[in-house]
Amino acid sequence: MHSSTSSSDALSDQYARATASDRPGVAQPVPQRPVPALPWRRMLLGALVLFVLLLGAWEAYWRAYGVVPGIRNTFGLWAIQRRRIDAGEGDATVLLGSSRSYFDLQLPQWRTLAGRAPIQLSYEGTSPMTAVEDLAADPKFTGRLIIGVAPELFFSGHGFALGVAKYAHKESPAQRVGQWLSMRLIEPYFAFFDADYALRTVLARQSWPQRPGRHWFTDVRKLAMYEADRNAYLWSKVDTDPAYRSLARGIWAEGFADYPGDPTPQEMLKTEKEQIERAAKAVAQLRAHGVKVLFVRLPSAGPYLEYEERFHPRTRAWDGLLAATGTPGLYFSDYPELRGFYLPEWSHMTQAEAQRFTIAFYGILQRDFWGPRPPTTGEKAQPN
Amino acid sequence: MVFNSLTFIVFFACVLGLHSLPLPWTVKKVNLLIASYLFYSAWNPPFVILLWVSTVVDWYAAQGLVKARRASARHAWMLLSVIANLGMLGYFKYGQFLLDNFSALMSSIGVAYHPAHYDIVLPVGISFYTFATMSYTLDVYLRRAAPAKNLLDYALFVTFFPHLVAGPIMRPTELVPQFARPRRASAQQLRFGLALMTLGLFNKVVLADSFLSDAAEQVYDGVRVPGTLDAWAATLAFSGQIFCDFAGYSTTAIGAALCLGFAMPDNFRFPYAAVGFSDFWRRWHITLSSWLRDYLYIPLGGNRHGPHRTYAALMTTMLLGGLWHGANWTFVAWGGLHGIYLSVERLLRGRFAGYRPGPWAFVALGILTYTLVNVTWVFFRAKTFARAWTVLKGMAGQNGITRPILPTFTLLSVAAIVGGILVTHWFMRSRTLESVVARTPPLAVGVVWALMAFAIVIAQGDGSAFIYFQF
Repeated sequence: MHSSTSSSDALSDQYARATASDRPGVAQPVPQRPVPALPWRRMLLGALVLFVLLLGAWEAYWRAYGVVPGIRNTFGLWAIQRRRIDAGEGDATVLLGSSRSYFDLQLPQWRTLAGRAPIQLSYEGTSPMTAVEDLAADPKFTGRLIIGVAPELFFSGHGFALGVAKYAHKESPAQRVGQWLSMRLIEPYFAFFDADYALRTVLARQSWPQRPGRHWFTDVRKLAMYEADRNAYLWSKVDTDPAYRSLARGIWAEGFADYPGDPTPQEMLKTEKEQIERAAKAVAQLRAHGVKVLFVRLPSAGPYLEYEERFHPRTRAWDGLLAATGTPGLYFSDYPELRGFYLPEWSHMTQAEAQRFTIAFYGILQRDFWGPRPPTTGEKAQPN
Repeated sequence: MVFNSLTFIVFFACVLGLHSLPLPWTVKKVNLLIASYLFYSAWNPPFVILLWVSTVVDWYAAQGLVKARRASARHAWMLLSVIANLGMLGYFKYGQFLLDNFSALMSSIGVAYHPAHYDIVLPVGISFYTFATMSYTLDVYLRRAAPAKNLLDYALFVTFFPHLVAGPIMRPTELVPQFARPRRASAQQLRFGLALMTLGLFNKVVLADSFLSDAAEQVYDGVRVPGTLDAWAATLAFSGQIFCDFAGYSTTAIGAALCLGFAMPDNFRFPYAAVGFSDFWRRWHITLSSWLRDYLYIPLGGNRHGPHRTYAALMTTMLLGGLWHGANWTFVAWGGLHGIYLSVERLLRGRFAGYRPGPWAFVALGILTYTLVNVTWVFFRAKTFARAWTVLKGMAGQNGITRPILPTFTLLSVAAIVGGILVTHWFMRSRTLESVVARTPPLAVGVVWALMAFAIVIAQGDGSAFIYFQF
């Protein structure tokens, strides 16, 4: 708290003015807000021209790199799809999971086959468990739930978008309007408007010398394109640009090694068990309001598959999950129709492959799990 | 809605358009009032009711004050306003905090008391608008100001969207007279207002959010023990972040008001060039520090009743000022530290009354001030005392051998930006922004303006809320 003396720094210029701190214990007068004497009209026009030129150059640079405008995957976009359950589509099929159930299952193909596309609520790089629990707590959801299991995420419970369900429930009117405006005025027209090309992200990934004493992981790069209904697919550059594909593989490979400070096998096993218990509890709740649940393990390949098997072997983690939840599961390698798809960076399919995969996946789903007839509104699903 | 959002850009364009139409002044004021309610309800519509309650209570309290014949009646009207505003603030902001502390106190004397968790949602900006409305009643009570002539002007004073949720905390005498006559920004004011908004948003979106917040988050919100470099880098980053965030908000608010033809007061005067803590508080969050001085410190006796009362008033003011920022003891510790600093400074000034520092000593005292301010930021940023101690121990080199937390790029960006802020503050410490801009070649101002706007767009801020919204 300053004492009741005036400022010691005399302001000697013509724009100098006292502040409330110089006037203790009195009514404060109407503030002075002088405008510097400059040619503001010319300056504004000049600044606008330069701004447009700079932005045009930035946009051209990213387009030359191969980027095209697309919808951004945001919490607001997720919230739009989540609200469909509250708005009369509680009996819908919902897809939850991480990037594989997001990029590998194509909504247009599904819509063609089923007459109705599922609600896509997967989020890349994130365990689906928080969203599963969110749906389990919502009695309005009575449909069918497909939960993608990407072992390293599912059995660790980790993810950068764990707060998405909470956001959806607390989204303010201003945020909703902002999402609506962005999807219509910005995202369809500007390629640079992508988190992977934000100023800090671009600067941070330059080859700065790194501090010794730990491994510094490379951030995951842009992998997918998104659409307004949250249909997503692998960005073609990952397939067509060998250098970019190699970069994507290299980033995954960094995570396959062991580093000091990583969780011990015992700690990982403990976490895995906790996540399975979490899933069992949520599935029981879902069943209580008539939801049919199916766990799916979508393809991975090469060193990625080896890594997943090393840390979360199928016989322990996957089988343990199905046993604890009493839920059927679809494991890609059990079905010849789901094998042999091309995964450029060992984890996700190209768009064309994903379209083919979705058709095969849907066929198996209908044949072996849910029968040929889609659920109707108000229908009680059979217990799994 | 937040200033750094597409929603606000569209909203503000509509407000500017409406305000420039040839409509009667009263209609324009009604437009501004409705726009301000929309601005506020865009967070959480039901909380507009709290704004109305605060507005109506203080309006009638001031009317009652003016009509009251007896001193006791005047006193009662004033108390009604204070109790209503602080009651609202207390319930929403401190309700759970008080219950938790009461529960802890009971436990300490062996009584098991576990009240239900209420999960009270804090209405955004409640600390700001309750202080603004209280200043209205208190100014009328203290006979510093006459009550507003009509409810519309008064309601607009409380609700005017540029200052509503994070200040500057306006006094009625600063804003109400501006509603008396028609106001519309001149072309020069509009352009300068837009330039100020660009500067404010550059501070917030580019410097605070894009480049500084990450360092503070990784160290303060993580579980790893920081070494000396990481602890200092995170704390310095937070010192830059909170300045750029809050001063950025104030600058944007001032610019937005100027675009509409209204003047708002300065809230920051290059605080990191402060020499001493009384100087710091003349430069940091000026409208809050002067509010606390005028309505708390001086009524508590100020420096009029001897040294003991002065120190007691100083400490009380700063402790409550700390609590104003948040319902957590760490904020009280932050305020308490500033109270101690101010008390020690006052003591030293009395002891060495004739001392005038030379140029080097002056800079050294400035560096000491900034360093000690950074120590207080540790308590402000850390969510728990345990984390604050861990970071402080790191800053003191007492955490032993640790693994690095922050990458080289983060360290370099913190050094460059915080270094830049310090150099700028020292260069500007006796100047105004307007005087420096006026002396700069127009071409250079235009280029800087364009670069800032470009950086804002390509930084792609995620529309994160301003730190002070939570207070």
